[in-house]
Amino acid sequence: MRTSEHIILSAGEKARRKAFGLLGRAFLFTVTSVAAMAVLAILFFIARDAWPFFSDRGVGDFFFSKAWYPAHQPPQFGAAAIFAGSLLVTGAAVVLAVPPGVFAALCMSDILPFNVRQVLKPVIEMLAAIPSVAYGFFALVVLAPLLQESGGRVLAAAWWVLALPALFLASVVAADLLTPGRLSHAAHRLARTLLTLCFLSLSLALLAHVGRVLGGLQVASGVNALTASVILGVMALPTIVSVSEDALQAAGRELREGSYALGATRAETLVKVVFPAALSGVFSAVLLGVMRALGETMVVWMASGNAAQIPKPWYNLLQPVRTLTATIAGDMGEADQMTGSAHYHVLFAMGLCLLLFSFTCNLAGEWIVTRQRKRLRGG
Amino acid sequence: MRMTTRKLLDRAFTAAACFAVGLMVLFLLFVLGPIFGKGAGAYVFTGTVEHRRMMIDQFGRGDEARVAAEWAGAQQARRPIYDALAAFEKELPQLPAAKRKALKPAFKAVREGVAVLLGPEPGEPLPALTRKMYGQTRWEKVQAKVTDILFEETWDYSEGAGKKVLVPRQPMFEGTALAPLFPLLQTDLTALLRPRLTFYPGFLTDVSVDAHFFGGIGPELLGTIYLALGALLLAVPFGIIAAVYFQEYAKEGAVLTFLRTCVNTLAGVPSVVFGLFGLAFFINTMHVSPGKSVLAGALTLALLVLPTVIRSSEEAIAAVPRSYKEGAMALGAGQWHTVLTVILPAALPGILTGIVISMGRAAGETAPIIFTAAVSVGKLVNPAELLTQPTPALSWNLYNLCTEHEAVDEIRHVQYGMAATLVLIVLVLNLTAILIRARVARRLKG
Repeated sequence: MRTSEHIILSAGEKARRKAFGLLGRAFLFTVTSVAAMAVLAILFFIARDAWPFFSDRGVGDFFFSKAWYPAHQPPQFGAAAIFAGSLLVTGAAVVLAVPPGVFAALCMSDILPFNVRQVLKPVIEMLAAIPSVAYGFFALVVLAPLLQESGGRVLAAAWWVLALPALFLASVVAADLLTPGRLSHAAHRLARTLLTLCFLSLSLALLAHVGRVLGGLQVASGVNALTASVILGVMALPTIVSVSEDALQAAGRELREGSYALGATRAETLVKVVFPAALSGVFSAVLLGVMRALGETMVVWMASGNAAQIPKPWYNLLQPVRTLTATIAGDMGEADQMTGSAHYHVLFAMGLCLLLFSFTCNLAGEWIVTRQRKRLRGG
Repeated sequence: MRMTTRKLLDRAFTAAACFAVGLMVLFLLFVLGPIFGKGAGAYVFTGTVEHRRMMIDQFGRGDEARVAAEWAGAQQARRPIYDALAAFEKELPQLPAAKRKALKPAFKAVREGVAVLLGPEPGEPLPALTRKMYGQTRWEKVQAKVTDILFEETWDYSEGAGKKVLVPRQPMFEGTALAPLFPLLQTDLTALLRPRLTFYPGFLTDVSVDAHFFGGIGPELLGTIYLALGALLLAVPFGIIAAVYFQEYAKEGAVLTFLRTCVNTLAGVPSVVFGLFGLAFFINTMHVSPGKSVLAGALTLALLVLPTVIRSSEEAIAAVPRSYKEGAMALGAGQWHTVLTVILPAALPGILTGIVISMGRAAGETAPIIFTAAVSVGKLVNPAELLTQPTPALSWNLYNLCTEHEAVDEIRHVQYGMAATLVLIVLVLNLTAILIRARVARRLKG
C-alpha cells in the first residue's frame, strides 16, 4: 500500500532524514551565531582601532586633562570636559524624564481604562519612532530660538506649573503630620489650620522668589545643555514608560487586591506596594533610558552647542557643552583622509568607552531582570 | 494621617499621573505640529511668477505661453521701480556732498534688495549662481525681503544688551527720484510678483538646484529608500533564521544564554558606534567599497536593526498557538517541515510588523551612515553605483542643510519639507505595523 510505504521508513531513509535534520540544525546554529557574534566583532574592531591611541599616549591625559585641541601642533587629546558634557546632558535628561516616565507608566498600568491605554500605546510608539535627526532639527529650529528669546519666562512658567501644586500639597501634608495629637477637637483643628497657613505662606514666598530668579535669567545661546537634555529626556521617555509599565503589570493582581483589602487608597497601593514590587523592573527601565540618552548623537550634536568645556558652576545647564557622541560624529567627518591619524584613533577610544558603558548597563539591567524573575518564581 | 489628607493625596497622585501622560501627548503634538505644519509649506505654498519661471527654466514644467504672458505683465508693473532706480542713479552726483554721502550706501542696499526681491534688472548680464537668476519664488519670503528694503536694521545698545531696531528708509529719500519706489513696493506687490497658490508635488522627486535653493529632495529620498531596503535585505534573512533557532531549536543552556545576551547587547550599542564599526570593519578592513558606499551603509544599518528583527520575529513565532504545531506533528510532518509550512506562515504578519518597524528605524538613522554612506551632494544614477558610490539621504541632508549650509535661513522651507517627509515616512511605517498587529491580535482572539 502506498500510505504505509510513506509512513514506515526504510533504515536508509531514516538515516538520511536524520542527517538532513542535523545539517539543518547546524546551519541554523551557524547563522544565529554569526548574528549574535556581531556584537563581539564590534567590540573587537572598535578596540583594535582604539588601541594605538592608548598605547601611544596612555590613559591619564585622555581621562583627566581638559585640553581638547586635536588640531594643534602637537595635538592635545584631553577628553575630561567631553566626558563631563556627556555625563551632564545624560544626567539632566534622566532627571527630567524619570519622574514623568514613572508617573505615566503608573497611570497607564493602573489608572486609565483599557481603551484609553490602547490609544496611548501608539502615541508612545510614535514618540519613540521619530528619527533623532528630526528631534535635533526641532531642537535647533523651534526650541533653541524659543529659549534664547524668552528663556527666563519659559523656565519661570514651568516652575510655577510644577511647583505650585507640589508645594501646596506638601504644606497640607506637613501641617497634618506636625499637628500635635493630644488636643481637643477644636484646638486640633485650629492648630492644623494655622500650621497649614504658615507653611503655605512660606512656600508661596519660596515659589515667588525662585520664580523671579528664573524669570530674570538671560539665556545667552539657545543651543546649550538644557535644550539637548530636554529633547533627550523626551526621547528616553518612551523606553522608560513602556519598560516600567511592563514591570508594573507583572507585579500582579493579587498584590493590589491585598492592599486594597487592607483599606489602602489607590495612591498608597501603588506607591507602597506595587512600586516596590516592580522596583527592579523600573530600575532597568531607567538604565535603558540612560543608555538611550548617552548613545544619542544627532540631538546633542545639533543642540548642545559643541563647546568642549565644563560649565561653571558644573550644574549650569544654560551653557553649551560637548558630548562623546557629538565629538565622534563631528570630528570623523573627513574620515577618508583621517584614517590612521591620532585624531582618528582617539575617536575610536571614545567609541570604546561608550561601548563599554552600554555593555555594563545592559548586563546590569539583564542581571536585575533575571534575578527578579527568579524571585517572582519563588526561588 | 487624616482620611481627608489621604484622599487628597490620592487625588493628587492620580492628577500627577494623568498630567505626566498628558505631557507626553502634548510633547508629541508640540514636536509634530511645527514639523508637519511648516513642512507642508514645501509642497503647498503661495508661489510667485518667479517660481513658475524657474520651474520652466530648470525643470521644463508649466504652461510656457501663460507664464510668458504673466512675466511680461509683471515686467510692465516693475517698470516704474527700475525707472526710479535709474533716475536716482542719475540724480545722485548732483546732490550736495553730505547728502550724497549719507544716501549712497542706503541706495546700494535698496538696489541690492530689489535685485533679491525681483531678480536681476532687465539688461543686466545673467548671474552665475542660479539662486540669483530669479527673484523671490515664495510669497512669505517676499514679505521678509520687502521689509529688508523698506527698513534699515540697526542695533540699539543703550540698554546694555543689544536690541534690534528697524529704521524706515523712506524719509531719507523724501524729495528724491527714488521716493516713488517705496509706496510701490507696499501697494503693488501683487502686480510685481503675481502670487498664486501653488501645489508642488515635484518636491518629492525633483533634484535640487543650486544647493537646495530650488527644486526638491528626490536624490535624498531615493538614497534613504536604497539604504533602508538594503539594510532589510541583509537583516531579515539572518533575523528570521536566528528567531527560528531561538524559538524552535535551541535548548536551554549556557550557549543559548550567551547568544541571547549577545543579541540583547547588540540592541544597546549606541548608533554612532555602529558607524565607527562600519568604517573600521566594512570599509577599512573588508574593503567592501573604496570609500563610503550605499553597500557599506546598508551593511551597517542591517546590524543596527538586526536585534529588532530577531526580537519581533521571536515574539511572532512564540505567539503561534501550540495546537498548530501539534497538529502538524500529528500529521507526520517533521520539525523542519512544520517550521516552514505551518509556523512561519502563521507568524508572518507578526514578523512583518518587526520588518516594517525596522525599516522605519533604518530610514531615520543618521549617525551610522555619516561615515559609511552619506554625502551632502550627489545623485545615484544607476543601480551598479550602489556598490561603490555614497548617496545623499534624507536624515543626513536634513542635518547638513540646517547646520552646515551656507544660507541656513534662506532654505528653511526645504529643511521643514525634508523633516516632514522623513517623519511622515517613519510614522506611516510605524502605523502600518500597529495596524498589522491589531489585526493579528483580533485574529488570534478568534
